[in-house]
Amino acid sequence: MTSLSGTGSGRAARRRGLAARAGVAELAILLALVAIFSMLNPHAFPTLTNLNTILNNAAIPIVIGVGASLVVLTGRIDLSVEGVMGAAGMAFVLLSANSRETADIGWLAYPAALAVGAGLGAATGAIHALAKVPSFIVSLGMWYVGLGIAAVLFGYEMIPFLGNEAAVAWPTATPLGLPNSFVLALVVVGLGWLIERYTRLGRYAYAIGNNETVARMTGIPVAGFVVAIFAFAGACSALAGVMGSLALGAGSATVGVGMLFLTLAAIVIGGTPLGGGRGGALRTVTGVLILSTLYNGLILVGVDPSIQSGVSGIVLVAAVIAAGWSQRARLRVFK
Amino acid sequence: MIQTGIPLQAPLCPDARQDRPAPILRLSGLAKSFGPVAAVKPLTLTVGRHEVIGLIGENGAGKSTLLKLLTGVHQPDAGTFELNGRQVRLKGPQDATEHGLGIVHQEQSLFTNLSVAENIVMGAGRKGSASTRGGLYRWRALHREAAEVLARIGSTVSPATIVGDLGFAERQMVEIARTIHVACRTAERQGGAPLVILDEPTSVLEEAETAVLEHEIARLRAIGSVIFVSHRLEEVLRICTRIVVMRHGELVADRPVEGVTEADLFRMMIGKDRHARTREAVPPMTAAPVLRAEGLTRTGAFRDIRLDLHPGRITAIVGTFGAGREALVRALFGAEPLDGGRLEVAGRAVAQWSPRLAIRAGLAYLPAERGVESAVGGLSAARNLTMVPQDRGWLLSPAGRRALAEEWFSRLDIRPNLPGQDLARFSGGNQQKVVLAKWLRLKPRVLILDHPLRGLDPGAGATVNACIRAAAAEGAGVLLLADTLEEALDLGHEILVMRDGEISARFDRTTDDPTTLDLLEKMV
Repeated sequence: MTSLSGTGSGRAARRRGLAARAGVAELAILLALVAIFSMLNPHAFPTLTNLNTILNNAAIPIVIGVGASLVVLTGRIDLSVEGVMGAAGMAFVLLSANSRETADIGWLAYPAALAVGAGLGAATGAIHALAKVPSFIVSLGMWYVGLGIAAVLFGYEMIPFLGNEAAVAWPTATPLGLPNSFVLALVVVGLGWLIERYTRLGRYAYAIGNNETVARMTGIPVAGFVVAIFAFAGACSALAGVMGSLALGAGSATVGVGMLFLTLAAIVIGGTPLGGGRGGALRTVTGVLILSTLYNGLILVGVDPSIQSGVSGIVLVAAVIAAGWSQRARLRVFK
Repeated sequence: MIQTGIPLQAPLCPDARQDRPAPILRLSGLAKSFGPVAAVKPLTLTVGRHEVIGLIGENGAGKSTLLKLLTGVHQPDAGTFELNGRQVRLKGPQDATEHGLGIVHQEQSLFTNLSVAENIVMGAGRKGSASTRGGLYRWRALHREAAEVLARIGSTVSPATIVGDLGFAERQMVEIARTIHVACRTAERQGGAPLVILDEPTSVLEEAETAVLEHEIARLRAIGSVIFVSHRLEEVLRICTRIVVMRHGELVADRPVEGVTEADLFRMMIGKDRHARTREAVPPMTAAPVLRAEGLTRTGAFRDIRLDLHPGRITAIVGTFGAGREALVRALFGAEPLDGGRLEVAGRAVAQWSPRLAIRAGLAYLPAERGVESAVGGLSAARNLTMVPQDRGWLLSPAGRRALAEEWFSRLDIRPNLPGQDLARFSGGNQQKVVLAKWLRLKPRVLILDHPLRGLDPGAGATVNACIRAAAAEGAGVLLLADTLEEALDLGHEILVMRDGEISARFDRTTDDPTTLDLLEKMV
């Protein structure tokens, strides 16, 4: 990536680079999957109902993915997704009208839940940046802190069901032709894209991910930006937790189960390498859609759900190998 | 690609020359020591306007320390430092740039994933650029801002290009533009002129690219002044208006370029020329080399290297930083990849190569970064000594280890004689001897020594050198990357000189008796 490119092959390299930046290969994979499953199952797969199912399933990982991609762009990783989702989701349910009648602060429950997520994210970022602990470890710990908070909130009483029927029905409704959850996800993606493209926060994320030493030498306050980015990622996870709670219609500490793997896999498959510096939210959308299409298609084809887990693991590793194939000779030490 | 036909007077900053031609830089009594070593002795230097100053000196002459003082990486121990008439105390390279002094390093510091424009503007810091004020990027304004800077230094690189897609010379233009962008604005505000330091800018450039850079320097000269650091003396003579020579941390010459020849420069850099100190018998070349390399090449590091190592002989390689010696020896040991060429060890051609295979074939490598790659602090000296994989089975009993350690402690006279002590508690020289013993124990056919004396005091160096001679006498073919030319002359039976990735000269001590000056002439 940082190797010197001779001037002679410059134009070819430029064209290759342009194609890679646009994510053409990933889009082609997505289209190929759609074509294959449409052929294998022409009656159930290519229908509007099934499209809405896929998009509805994709909404939550996309929302998480917007924040998580920004973290990955800096070369860091946020493993706390599921814990933050649990804590923020439970906070949201308990602050809304629910069967346990805890407290009902109305629409303020939404910003409150986002604040919980942003707070947990900021804490992860601050501990990572100030105590100089790898983000991998800090966010791993924060995952369980989040789950713990959710479990405490859940307590030993009965399950808190959400009282607001309209809110519960909202995500899957399709007034705009697409499920509301997916429309919301697209709004978040748009926000993420604006951040990545037009704000210092986003541009510095690319810079830090490309070369952190240079970033420091250029006078970029790396720690401050990293904290802000983790806080944003936490807020995204929190929104995902709220969306998950609405989908369940009830509070659950484990609302985010399975989301970490899905999101990280989607980020990498979409074309944002874990080393940072390249990719972004739009790429992650493609990654999530590839995986949701794959899951959905495999179910419709009749593949055992337990085999799907193995398939997604293989897809992830294959994607990483494919992405790093051209550079494998340069990788002498990898861990 | 890059326009060069623009007239040179397009000053980026209005020149305040008419009022007071204050020098841009004034150093007086600036000094820096590291422990007992004086890296820069009290030094006085003044840089006026429209000057191109060539800063030259041997490796270790103190050039890089001086540059680090200038850019605020190191803080001086004494002396005053004035930029455009104001006394400054710089906190780092960014701070230096904001004071009007920019540096462009040989190893580039650009974000390869971002556009040219972004790189240029990002260097301006958070408050520096109008097009990113408030944390929001106004791309059109940003591209315009960058295009203006690029146009002023005569570069036609498109601001929207991603830096990673540019060639090396073009990237260097971007670096210069970035530096100039900030340095010039500060200088303008303070009524002064910017100073740009180019640290070995040409060492990685092709000839045509060098020509472009020369134009660039001429343009910079119209704006402010340039300090040009280079090992290529003919370039220094061609480009610069004034020459400053450093030797042993001192400024030994400071004179206009007129009437100076390359030979003069060599003499100023070296001081006293000398031959090898010892004239002992050079061991004869036996028929079969233990290691033979033919046409070894690695893109961007070295090319077409021919090399024969014979048992009992020490081959020393000398060259400037960046000549490719380090990459070469690491590739010989399998620690870095090779792009082409043929390698034979003990008469057998090598197909697959890695450090593990190299060790099995009888190679040993003493890395330059002792603390990182060879000595494991926190483990006892005895354990360090026995760390390399065993030929004799998998297990080594504690008694066996102790016996081995005691044997080698006495053979190399390692002090204190406490093999069980944590290696980190030994002195540098004795640590190096333990590491050396680790390899000698295996009776290597080939011993590769990458700066074995780095960081050692002269006394320790002498004993390590004795160990190296003894290892050769026992039949190993030794390849030595020496720290100094004197060391290479005193130890080497054959001396290879590398320049820009190629072997530029070979001296066999059976027939030749080169001096340090002869070596240096081939190096630069």
